[in-house]
Amino acid sequence: MADESEGAEIVGDLLERVVDALGLEGEIEISEDEETITGTVHGDDLGLLIGRHGQTIDAVQHLAGRAVLQGTEDDRRRVVIDAAGYRARRVEALERLADDAVEAALTGGSPVPLEPMNAAERRIVHEYLRDRTEVETYSEGEEPDRCLVVAPAT
Amino acid sequence: MRELLEYLAQSLVDDPDAVRVDEFTEDDGTVVLELAVGDDDYGKVIGRNGRTAKALRAVVKAAAVHEDRRVLIDIVD
Repeated sequence: MADESEGAEIVGDLLERVVDALGLEGEIEISEDEETITGTVHGDDLGLLIGRHGQTIDAVQHLAGRAVLQGTEDDRRRVVIDAAGYRARRVEALERLADDAVEAALTGGSPVPLEPMNAAERRIVHEYLRDRTEVETYSEGEEPDRCLVVAPAT
Repeated sequence: MRELLEYLAQSLVDDPDAVRVDEFTEDDGTVVLELAVGDDDYGKVIGRNGRTAKALRAVVKAAAVHEDRRVLIDIVD
């Protein structure tokens, strides 16, 4: 890890402190490329780190991103925090929700709002449905209740 | 919890030395953590639409669950 960037080091340190404070047994892995620093916690029983609807892990991810920006002053890469495959499972769940919403919007002929989700998750759904020309997607409402809407294409 | 909040707040601000966390315990056992930061750093721990403050609360609350406590975080000036 000798060539780890300063930003990656900040993410690793922060994640270690959080995992420790939550009393979890987890191994931390940091990877990075030009766009993203990813901190992954491997282990069992990481439910406390993930939290209800991913609230806790999204909070850790937000804080890690802010800490990198503050600590390096010029590292603007995206920071992703993952635990036990949570992000991949969440993408699958979002894609299922999106498919259901498309069906409901086309059957009912009216817009279908999804549950409120953060900007990153709205982007996942939006991009997943980009090629489905029979529907259009847009966001409405105010944070933190902002949600993506799937509507029949006009 | 106190140490975690202090560490997280210090990682967010321009003046880490000005970060103070005071801890009280209420009669019902709830732990109250009062976070103070340098005058120019409140925006950094609160964030746009209070998002950073909310994230701090969420993470420290998870630590409180581990310790089987209830915690409240007050950002004070």
